[in-house]
Amino acid sequence: MEDVWLEYKARRSFFRHDRFMALEALNLTLNRGEVLGVIGGNGSGKSTLLRVLAGVYRPDRGQIKRFCGNTLLLSLALGFDPELSGRENALISGVLLGARRQRVVKKMDQIISFAELDDCIDDPLKTYSSGMRARLGFSVAFFVEADLLLIDEVLSVGDANFRLKAEKSMRERISSEQTVVFVSHSSAQIVGLCDRVAWIDKGRLRLTGQPQEVIEAYNGHQCKSTSS
Amino acid sequence: MKLENLVEAYFLKLRFNLKSEASKSYLNYAWWILEPALHVAVFYFVFNVMLDRGGPNFTVFLLCGQIPFLWLSRSVNNATGSILYGRGMILQISIPKPFFPLLAVGQDLVKQSTVFLCLLLFLILVGFGPSAYWFYLPAIIIVQAMLVCALALVAAAITPYVPDFRFLVNTGMTMLMFASGIFYDYRTVLKDEHKQWFLLNPMSTLIECYRDVLIRHQPLDWNGLLFLLLGSLVLLILVLGFYKRHDAAYARLVAQ
Repeated sequence: MEDVWLEYKARRSFFRHDRFMALEALNLTLNRGEVLGVIGGNGSGKSTLLRVLAGVYRPDRGQIKRFCGNTLLLSLALGFDPELSGRENALISGVLLGARRQRVVKKMDQIISFAELDDCIDDPLKTYSSGMRARLGFSVAFFVEADLLLIDEVLSVGDANFRLKAEKSMRERISSEQTVVFVSHSSAQIVGLCDRVAWIDKGRLRLTGQPQEVIEAYNGHQCKSTSS
Repeated sequence: MKLENLVEAYFLKLRFNLKSEASKSYLNYAWWILEPALHVAVFYFVFNVMLDRGGPNFTVFLLCGQIPFLWLSRSVNNATGSILYGRGMILQISIPKPFFPLLAVGQDLVKQSTVFLCLLLFLILVGFGPSAYWFYLPAIIIVQAMLVCALALVAAAITPYVPDFRFLVNTGMTMLMFASGIFYDYRTVLKDEHKQWFLLNPMSTLIECYRDVLIRHQPLDWNGLLFLLLGSLVLLILVLGFYKRHDAAYARLVAQ
């Protein structure tokens, strides 16, 4: 990613737009098999960065050179419809995430069992609790394969048990040569999962380096900002 | 997203959207037939019963105009906001934006196919067919499908840039309905100097073609149909070119 700039425009009235620079002169390199953590405050540009990497947004300036096949932005509940059953939602969500239909059908039992929804998978999604929906969304996304995996705060879904299970499974997947960009507010998750960390502040890359070093710098900055 | 994935996602979403929509009402899929039937009933009541302007075989005349028009108006209306409604997906995956209006068009095409079958059955029941001219029907349907796709894609492309366009589409469809000769025969109602202008409206030409084939059992206006086909094809190519060039802009437009 070289010198990437991206600006948002928000429509205020017919002629007036507010402009907001989401990414400014961002340079980043990601190596195959590496897990890159991304930290930063709210509105710092972390999710925008993932959307640019996923091809959802095209930058206004700069370029992104990809040397991998498919990229997956791990999205929970993609294409979910409350009127359809959990099974139907899992199928459409998996296909939208980039898996072939046959593959999702083949993996369906594993998805259902991972989501712990064996008893109610054929019930309409509208009868599920928000935790059950999140578990189903995570399970579907988890079983879709990709060369580059982009994760935006999705390891904090479901109850405490499911969170542990999700984190453990993700750790196993990451350790098997999976290239990952991982956005999180959890310092423990970042230190535990990432090989390198990038700190983004107001759309600019503030620091990259070893997880512990960057996290300490970030936390120090946060403390200063809070006290001042 | 790879093409084979996109095709699978399209047909799955089409099937599930229809199922989801049907499950929201008590009469489910019956509304596919009931809704157009109610539209026709209202027009029949107003023009034939209240205003006494119908004439012989008015029901058949009305059906052959109203049903093709409902296909166009429903598809374009449903496609108009489709990219804005697809916001959730657009912000999560890289997906070609024509997917959304074409999905709306596909859903209406499935419903419309059922309505067309019922129309043909009704025509047979009341003694208007079948005839050899019915073999021309697929040609008319293909041309209308091209026109529907082109107009739906145009309407969906404009709306994220100018959301107010949705209201204009609604009004435009009402105007088009009154200008398409659905409940009157333009040959007897319009002045001679206005007839050429009337036939410039693509729906007037199509509705006349449907009536020629289904009711009048006579050769249809091939020149008019060919002109419409070419016009729709040119518009389709232009609008798909626009999507290709501006596809990336839509994600930021729907995020606004």
